Amino acid sequence: MAILPATDSRLTRAFDNDWIGPGLVSLIAVIGISLFQPAFLSSFNIFVLLAAISVNMVIALGQLVIIGIGQMNLALGSIGGLVAISFVGVIETFGVPVPVALILGLGIGIAAGMVSGTIIARTAISAFIITLAGLQIFKGINLGITEAQPFYGVPDVVKTFGNGSVLGPLPWLLVPMVICSLAMWYLFTRMRIGRHILAMGSNPHAAELSGIDPKATIIWAHALSGLLAAVAGIMLVAKLQIGQPTIGDDWLISSFAAPVIGGAVLSGGRVSVGGTFFGVVIIAIITQGLVMFAIDPFAVQIVLGALILWAVAINRLREVRIQRLQARGAGA
Amino acid sequence: MTALQVSHVSKSFPGVKALADVSMTMEAGSVHALLGENGAGKSTLIKIVTGIYQPDSGSVLMNGVPVRFANLRQAAAGGLGVVHQERNLVTRFSVGENILLDRLGSGPLSSVDYTAIHREAEKWLRLLDLEVDPRTTVSRLSVAQMQLVEIGKALSLQSKVLLLDEPTASLTPNESTVLFRILRRLRDDGVAIGFVSHKLEEVFDICDRVTVLRDGQNACDSVELSGLNRGDVVQMMIGRAERITKRAPRPKTAVAPYLDLRDYGSALGHRDISLTVRPGEIVGLYGLVGAGRSELARAILGLSKQLAGEVRVAGKPVHIASVAQALHRHGIGYVSEDRKQEGLILLHSVLANGGITIWRKLATRFGFLRDSTVHAAIGPVFQRLELKTPSVYQTIGNLSGGNQQKVSVAKWIAAGVGLLIIDEPTVGIDIKTKAYMHDLIHELAEQGTAVLLITSDMPEMIDVADRILVMDGYRIKGEVENDRNYDAVSRAIMGFIHGQAAA
Repeated sequence: MAILPATDSRLTRAFDNDWIGPGLVSLIAVIGISLFQPAFLSSFNIFVLLAAISVNMVIALGQLVIIGIGQMNLALGSIGGLVAISFVGVIETFGVPVPVALILGLGIGIAAGMVSGTIIARTAISAFIITLAGLQIFKGINLGITEAQPFYGVPDVVKTFGNGSVLGPLPWLLVPMVICSLAMWYLFTRMRIGRHILAMGSNPHAAELSGIDPKATIIWAHALSGLLAAVAGIMLVAKLQIGQPTIGDDWLISSFAAPVIGGAVLSGGRVSVGGTFFGVVIIAIITQGLVMFAIDPFAVQIVLGALILWAVAINRLREVRIQRLQARGAGA
Repeated sequence: MTALQVSHVSKSFPGVKALADVSMTMEAGSVHALLGENGAGKSTLIKIVTGIYQPDSGSVLMNGVPVRFANLRQAAAGGLGVVHQERNLVTRFSVGENILLDRLGSGPLSSVDYTAIHREAEKWLRLLDLEVDPRTTVSRLSVAQMQLVEIGKALSLQSKVLLLDEPTASLTPNESTVLFRILRRLRDDGVAIGFVSHKLEEVFDICDRVTVLRDGQNACDSVELSGLNRGDVVQMMIGRAERITKRAPRPKTAVAPYLDLRDYGSALGHRDISLTVRPGEIVGLYGLVGAGRSELARAILGLSKQLAGEVRVAGKPVHIASVAQALHRHGIGYVSEDRKQEGLILLHSVLANGGITIWRKLATRFGFLRDSTVHAAIGPVFQRLELKTPSVYQTIGNLSGGNQQKVSVAKWIAAGVGLLIIDEPTVGIDIKTKAYMHDLIHELAEQGTAVLLITSDMPEMIDVADRILVMDGYRIKGEVENDRNYDAVSRAIMGFIHGQAAA
C-alpha cells in the first residue's frame, strides 16, 4: 500500500479554510460601506458594532455546539432570556451581590441545558421537538416571574460593563466574547469533549461503537449551549441596562445564520469558530450598513435570508468538490 | 486455550426463536469461521457476545470466566474487539484519532495530546503493515486501508478476541490477501479470531475451525475444518447438497415482442441499442460493472431522455417519459438492484410495500383505499411466493433479505406487468432463497411475462436466461443463445467483451 503524505494541499485547504470566505466578504463590506459612508469607521460606530458583534458571537457559539453534534437548540433564546431576568431579578428583589447573581445565572443556564440534553439523550426524541418544548417552558417561566414587566434594578457596575470601553472603541463586552471564542476553539480542536461532540456529529454510529458515551456527550453539549446562552443573556442585560423579559426572542435566526455562513454543516461534525465569527460580523455589518443608508429595516430580513441561502450554496458546492476529489483519488 | 466460549445460548424475539441452544468455542491462536445462510442467526450470536443483546438462557465465557457485557464499550474493555460489516470511522478525523477515539483524554475537559496519540497509533499501524501517516484524514484512505484502520482500532484495545464480520466484502482479492497475511500473524501471536464470511474459498484458506448455524441451531459446533470439504460445509449450511441446477433450454417463442428497441440511444450514453423481449421469454443482459446495463433499464423506464431510435411496446411505437407512465400505461416494472434504497420503503409495512403499485387501480372514485382491499389483491401473490412474515403489518425492514426481495417482486406481479426488468435479483441473498428466486423468474416467464434479467453472476445468468445479450461501453456487443452449456456459453460471452477490450 502506498505511503500517503500527512497533508494534501487541495483537500486540507478545502477543510480548513472555512473562515477565509466570510472573512473576505467582511473586509470587502467594510471597505465598500466606508467608501460611501466615512462615518462607518468612526470611533463611535465601531464601538456600537463591536458591542453588537460581541453579544451575537456568544449567542452563535451557543448554537454552534449543538450544530456540531448534529442537533439544533430552539430553546437557546428562551434560556438566555430566563437567565437575564433571573440575574436582574435576584439582585433587585433579594439584594444579592452581583458575583453571586452571576454564578446563579450561569448555573440556571447550565441546568436548563442539562435538562434538555438529558431528555434528548434518554428518550432519543429529536432535539428539535425537545428544545421546541423547552422554548415554551422556559419562556413561560420567564413570563410567570416577570408578568411581562422588566426588572429595572441593574447595578451601575453592570451598566458600566455593558456600555463602557476598555480602550478607545473597544467595549468591555468584547472580553467575555473573546474568552468564550478562544475557549470554544480550544474545545473543538484540542479537548476530549469537543472531539467527541464532533465525532458524534460526523458519525453517531461509529462514535458509539468506538466507546464514546453518546448520552454523556449530548448532555455535555446542551449544558455548554445553556452556559453560553446564559453568558449572552447577562451581556445583553448589561448592554440594555434593563432586565427585559423579551431578551432572547430574536436570537433564533441569527444563531443559525452565523454558523452556517461560517461553513458549519447542519448535519453535524463540522464547525468553525473563526468562520462563525465572520458570519456574525457580516450580519452585523449588513444590519448596520442598511441602517446607515436609511434602507427599510424589513429589507434587512430579506438580505439575511438571501445570505443564508448563499452560504448554504457555497457549502454544498464545496462538499460536491471534495466528494469529486475523493472519487478521483479512489479511482486512481 | 479457550479464549471465548458460547455455551447453550438461546434467544427469542417476539414471534421468532432466533437462537436455540447454540454453542461455540474459540481457541486462542486460531481462526474460527462462523457460517450460516442469511437469517441463520450469525448476527444475533455476535450481538449476544458483544453485549448488544442479552441471552435468554445460556452463558458467554471469556478465559473461562462468565461475562455479561451491558454494551459494546464494556465488551471492548473486556478484551473483545469487533470489526463490523459497515465502516465505523469518523472520516473527518485523522487515522490516529480514530484509532484512539475513546482514549483521547482522562476526563471530558482534558486536553488532547495529538503527539502522543499519533505516536501510539503509529505502533498499531506498523503492526498491520499499514504505511499510512497517522495524521492522515481518514476520508483520504482507500476502503481497504479503512478496513485495516478498524482492525488496528480493535487491536489497540489489547483485544484477545477479535470478531470480523464480512471483512472482505468490500476488498479486492489482492487486498484480501494482505488482510489474511496480517490475520495469520495475529493468530500466531495468540489472538482468537472469529471470521464471518459468505465466501467459502476464504474460509478454507484461512480458518482452522468452523461453527455452522442453520435456522438458529448448531449444524456443527467448533469442528476442525481440515476434515471437511466444501460440499460438507454447504450441506450443513443449507441442510442438503448444493444444487447445481441443470434446467433444460426452453423452447423459443415466436410471439411478437413485448418490448422492441431499434437503434435506441439515450442521454445516458447508450448508442445503437437494438433488442427484443417476447412475452414468456427471459432475456439476460450481461456485462461488467459500468457496461451501462442498469442505466439502460433506467432509460427504458423513462428516467433518461431518448435521443435516437425507436421504442415499441406491444407493437406500438411509444415514448416513455416517466416511471409512472412506464408502469400504468405500458406495463413495465423494475426490480431495483438496490432494494434498500430504491426498491422498498423500509419503514413501511409489508402490505404497504406490496400494494404500492396497485393503489391507483384499487382506490375508489374518491381516492379511498382500504387495507382489506389491498390485502385481497396482494395476499394471494404473497402466498404464491411463500413470503415469511409474522403479519402483513410487519415493518418490512425487519424481514430477511430474501423475504424483502420477495415483496419487491410481489408488487410487480400484483400490478400484472407485461415486462419485468429484474436487476441483480440475488445480491446478498443466501443460496436457498437464490434458487427459489430463479424458480420464481421462470414461473413468471411461463405465465407469459416478458423478463429482462440483469446480473453479473455468470452461473445465475446461464441458469436462468434463455438468450443472453452482452453489453459493453453502453452498446450491445453480441448475443448468445443459451443452451446451458456453461463452458461454451461463458466463453462466448467473455469473447464479446474481450473482443471489444482488444480493439
